Amino acid sequence: MATKESGDARAQLALSSSASQSKEVPENPNYALRCTLVGHTEAVSSVKFSPNGEWLASSSADRLIIIWGAYDGKYEKTLYGHNLEISDVAWSSDSSRLVSASDDKTLKLWDVRSGKCLKTLKGHSNYVFCCNFNPPSNLIISGSFDETVKIWEVKTGKCLKTLSAHSDPVSAVHFNCSGSLIVSGSYDGLCRIWDAASGQCLKTLVDDDNPPVSFVRFSPNGKYILTATLDNTLKLWDYSRGRCLKTYTGHKNEKYCIFANFSVTGGKWIVSGSEDNLVYIWNLQTKEIVQKLQGHTDVVISAVCHPTENLIASAALENDKTIKLWITC
Amino acid sequence: MEGDGSDPEPPDAGEDSKSENGENAPIYCICRKPDINCFMIGCDNCNEWFHGDCIRITEKMAKAIREWYCRECREKDPKLEIRYRHKKSRERDGNERDGSEPRDEGGGRKRPVPDPDLQRRAGSGTGVGAMLARGSASPHKSSPQPLVATPSQHHQQQQQIKRSARMCGECEACRRTEDCGHCDFCRDMKKFGGPNKIRQKCRLRQCQLRARESYKYFPSSLSPVTPSESLPRPRRPLPTQQQPQPSQKLGRIREDEGAVASSAVKEPPEATATPEPLSDEDLPLDPDLYQDFCAGAFDDHGLPWMSDTEESPFLDPALRKRAVKVKHVKRREKKSEKKKEERYKRHRQKQKHKDKWKHPERADAKDPASLPQCLGPGCVRPAQPNSKYCSDDCGMKLAANRIYEILPQRIQQWQQSPCIAEEHGKKLLERIRREQQSARTRLQEMERRFHELEAIILRAKQQAVREDEESNEGDSDDTDLQIFCVSCGHPINPRVALRHMERCYAKYESQTSFGSMYPTRIEGATRLFCDVYNPQSKTYCKRLQVLCPEHSRDPKVPADEVCGCPLVRDVFELTGDFCRLPKRQCNRHYCWEKLRRAEVDLERVRVWYKLDELFEQERNVRTAMTNRAGLLALMLHQTIQHDPLTTDLRSSADR
Repeated sequence: MATKESGDARAQLALSSSASQSKEVPENPNYALRCTLVGHTEAVSSVKFSPNGEWLASSSADRLIIIWGAYDGKYEKTLYGHNLEISDVAWSSDSSRLVSASDDKTLKLWDVRSGKCLKTLKGHSNYVFCCNFNPPSNLIISGSFDETVKIWEVKTGKCLKTLSAHSDPVSAVHFNCSGSLIVSGSYDGLCRIWDAASGQCLKTLVDDDNPPVSFVRFSPNGKYILTATLDNTLKLWDYSRGRCLKTYTGHKNEKYCIFANFSVTGGKWIVSGSEDNLVYIWNLQTKEIVQKLQGHTDVVISAVCHPTENLIASAALENDKTIKLWITC
Repeated sequence: MEGDGSDPEPPDAGEDSKSENGENAPIYCICRKPDINCFMIGCDNCNEWFHGDCIRITEKMAKAIREWYCRECREKDPKLEIRYRHKKSRERDGNERDGSEPRDEGGGRKRPVPDPDLQRRAGSGTGVGAMLARGSASPHKSSPQPLVATPSQHHQQQQQIKRSARMCGECEACRRTEDCGHCDFCRDMKKFGGPNKIRQKCRLRQCQLRARESYKYFPSSLSPVTPSESLPRPRRPLPTQQQPQPSQKLGRIREDEGAVASSAVKEPPEATATPEPLSDEDLPLDPDLYQDFCAGAFDDHGLPWMSDTEESPFLDPALRKRAVKVKHVKRREKKSEKKKEERYKRHRQKQKHKDKWKHPERADAKDPASLPQCLGPGCVRPAQPNSKYCSDDCGMKLAANRIYEILPQRIQQWQQSPCIAEEHGKKLLERIRREQQSARTRLQEMERRFHELEAIILRAKQQAVREDEESNEGDSDDTDLQIFCVSCGHPINPRVALRHMERCYAKYESQTSFGSMYPTRIEGATRLFCDVYNPQSKTYCKRLQVLCPEHSRDPKVPADEVCGCPLVRDVFELTGDFCRLPKRQCNRHYCWEKLRRAEVDLERVRVWYKLDELFEQERNVRTAMTNRAGLLALMLHQTIQHDPLTTDLRSSADR
């Protein structure tokens, strides 16, 4: 059943897990495969649920974005327009708009209901790799292979700020829940936190070694950062102190920028894809692998959680080209 | 060999090449001293080192020298002459020497990388002389230059290849000690006769693990576009490891490229036969052989581009070789053009991308007698070039067959489970319909009020005037207070304030326009908008007709017209009485009819807006519902339900 706990419950990372068992939290998630969505003709690069939970958007190397119904997995529509492969797609907070980042060096803003491209954001000088809206959805942030992070205004489509953020391709960008901070991760091994208003770098998270960072994300309460690095590790940082709190291993991640997510609808899990074709689910507190979902036949590049239901969507690369929906029984 | 003037070890010194400046120190120069801490110049013939002081050559002079031979050698062999550099190259060298390290790109936060070349050269222990000898024997233009040495450096260098931010020290590229001399980066180097504008390490020496993506791939020999730019790859992987099973990816190649594909499949296994590691001896000097070698060498390392289908036509060595030769020539010319058109790169890139796509087709045109069979049902004729079918008919037949075969099961699949989006749509429509109903009732209400108002106004006009009606205003009011008009700012008497401000406002407002391009066309609405056409701005005035100061003037009030405003007690309660003052005199109820009419009209306009909005929403929902599960949608996509019982993934079915 869907228990909606506030993210602040996790703030007590006191490792006594008895605190969490006072609510009816299942010991292990029991995800099972429900639907397979077939339709892309090339590798799927990213899947995202809409904030209102109704739709699932998937972007792919076949230059299309397909919208599926989240609850039944049925095909809804396709958005055409990009000239080259799409690396990432993101929803606005009101679930009416999408932004997509593509290898044709542009981002496109789409109106989902009409299926039209509202704006094309031009400015990057190399592949655009990742994109996101801020919570008020008046800004779009994008990271690119040209090593910069750009902030765009949705209304006009103009680039407001360019942060020369890293010295290697930027692999992930994310706003925190209030929209005041930006986190960016890059192949140069650095994870940087920026002030959204001024564009100043507030903090750089560095560990002992600096393997390329393939994915970063704020936790739903904005206090922690989840980073994935290309040495088969996921780390949870308390960024205000700059300390790594938890490390999650066991999966394989050395090549691709695989998405990882927090699952908060049921138990507190960390969900991530892996290069051994499985979806891994860890217990956030104990760091144990609680389940491995099998079904894909290629690298699982993206695994996302539904905002309200105990639903996981996962997508795989070109050997598989499908999206699978998993649900707890 | 310009910047590499670090290794002073002459192999002919006769002593151990790596000894310290101690007992068994090698001796140099005409003075036969082991001192190496000063400026030295090496003879390009006998490879002996001479102190600059001893032979009266300063460092500055040496900069101008390209080939230097000692006096002995010159005397022995009259053919040897000291060659000087061209003036321009001298200046360039001078600048270079300061920044001879390969420049690392990136933001200001990047830490500087020490020159790996320096260290590696010493580490491998190959003498300078040996390299000079090879250099002179090579077929290309790089002429050996006297090495101006800082001899002390070599003592500090280690055997191990140093790791740095851009070098792992362990891969093939890091282990290489010599520049290939053929890649674009090498050809830019001073020592190979280049202008030294790019300033990067040899392509074959770019670390496979840590170097920048765009520097790694073997250059110009394959295409003018740097291959990493043309890489279409989702969530680009870091090419740290070899790509497994390149043949797998070839399964997606179009049938047209059948011939190319088969040869391409053969190629990778062949390539693995080439030996690793690449030592200096393996470097073939023949340029043709070298192209092949490099092409083969790269198959080993499994660069990511290889697995991509768009590149697969290039896997054909024959093709690539052809391509290489052509492009080498072209590249030099194109390079200067490119720099001029940096700003218009987008167009060029697009063009190049298109060209790249054209290549496979062009290749096939040259490929005769290997046209595949038409895919039409029961057809054995060969397909047209660039097509899968021999004729349109075959294509249509196949398409029809496909639809007959696949569509029924897809429709069944679709209907197996209820479409939740459809249900939502229906609920939305319900809601919209209800709202439309309520809006229409409100509209009727408005209309009623409208008529009522008109009736009141009419009745009021029929009242008789009573001149001597006591006016409520007058002496009781304080006439000392001065109110300032909001529009013009002048002080006015509060008694006439209302009248003045209305007039004033109308005056200013009439000078501005407020309109839209479209005339109002609403059925069943009497007067709403002014709709006067302004030919200058081509717009229709969109103010309320009763209020518009621009296009309607207040009619002149006849002297005997009565005010007629319904009087109220305590603001809301109608007394049933009317104001009997003549309109001209009444200051309290100035233009009350206009204002009341405007109020009603505004409400009506609002309701019409709401109806319009609802209509728009309805249209959207209906379009989405009709477009769902169309033919293309069903044919191109499918949703496989693994559990036919739970097709609704929501935890609580009613939302």
